[in-house]
Amino acid sequence: MSDAVAAPVSSRPPALVLGAAGFLGLNLVDALVADGQQPRCGRRARTNVLALRQRKVPLVQADFDAPETLREAMKGIDVVYHLGGHYPRLSLDLEKERHIGLTRLERVLDAAAETGVRRLVYVSSTATVAPRTDGSGSTEVDLFDTPPTWGAYHDLKWHLEARALAEKRWEVVVACPGACLGPWDLRMGTSTMLVGLARGLDVPHPDGLVSWVDARDVAKGLLALGTMTDPPRRVLLSAESIRLQSLLEVAAAFYGVTAPPALSDAEALAFADAEEHRAAEGGPRARLARELVDLIIHGPFIDATRSRHQLGVTYRPLDETLRDFDAWARRVRFIPTKSTQEAAP
Amino acid sequence: MTQPTIETRVIHLISQLVPVKSQDIKPEQRLRDDLGMDSVSSMELLSMLAEDFELDVGVEDVADVHTVAQTIELVKVFLAKKAA
Repeated sequence: MSDAVAAPVSSRPPALVLGAAGFLGLNLVDALVADGQQPRCGRRARTNVLALRQRKVPLVQADFDAPETLREAMKGIDVVYHLGGHYPRLSLDLEKERHIGLTRLERVLDAAAETGVRRLVYVSSTATVAPRTDGSGSTEVDLFDTPPTWGAYHDLKWHLEARALAEKRWEVVVACPGACLGPWDLRMGTSTMLVGLARGLDVPHPDGLVSWVDARDVAKGLLALGTMTDPPRRVLLSAESIRLQSLLEVAAAFYGVTAPPALSDAEALAFADAEEHRAAEGGPRARLARELVDLIIHGPFIDATRSRHQLGVTYRPLDETLRDFDAWARRVRFIPTKSTQEAAP
Repeated sequence: MTQPTIETRVIHLISQLVPVKSQDIKPEQRLRDDLGMDSVSSMELLSMLAEDFELDVGVEDVADVHTVAQTIELVKVFLAKKAA
């Protein structure tokens, strides 16, 4: 990490992590603590803070719908890591999700401006990365000129990143991580398929390029963006881009099962839409989220060389991520061991 | 005014997460099958309990809790640990 200039711990003002209780947030908190920092961790009233409480880090109210809590949380803060960008639970109402997301981001940006924050590290998504027509790897320069029309998630992430990059009042840098895997995915986002395989369940999925990355490596990249003297404006974070079917076959071999075949794009879209409508009517969570389908079938091939060279990120291999995720998931019993199989939910 | 019991406090917190009134929540009810909670809301409940009772409950402790009675028992166990 030759470009990263770390200030002595004692002289470094605290960092604030928005979205600290989430998957990436917990891994970032661990990275900040390992770096000798004592991050202030933003939480909402109903946030699950069990994992943060275990880490003994200071918690502070930071509700995106209560701007005064954001201003209070940012007092005396040098760097804000914003990992709490709106994530639409369902993809059914594009206009509504965009409005919620942009309103909340505006409040974060305003609070940072009012409290004198020096830098904001905004966590976006590879959903904003445009594929290249020649099939070569997309880099930081590849942005969609207009929002992709594939679904609410792509639309929202494009608008949010565009707003963050347009900020002129102080420094904003943007990180675009791919599909995150690894420990602390408490809400079972991208890890759902791994847990499904481990449990021998059906795992409905389309096929397409997925740019996976270990959440701990994303955290290292974010830490570098927050601490280095001259960070790049936009960075893509991904270990590799592979077909989802290939990734699932590796994971299936790890669990000694056979990977289920992929649905066609049309089948996956229809299935996800039906699942979302059922969930919207009060049913259980969708077994296949629409945004995951959109991300997979439109996934670009990512070239994350900049993150390796400028941030010093060394991405761990898939087998290490799978092994560590499995150990964690068994510890919290998302994946039952023989002794817990009967008690498993 | 009497202090609410541990049972009352736990049931009150559960009622904030499920569409069931406090008076209709019974110890023998299962959090998922009877009250409609999922893994996320179960963890949210444990988080609320940890904060309300100031307990060092871990993420891994959630897996042992399936009923209202087990939730109450977990709080009692951790309160006893805290007092020890």
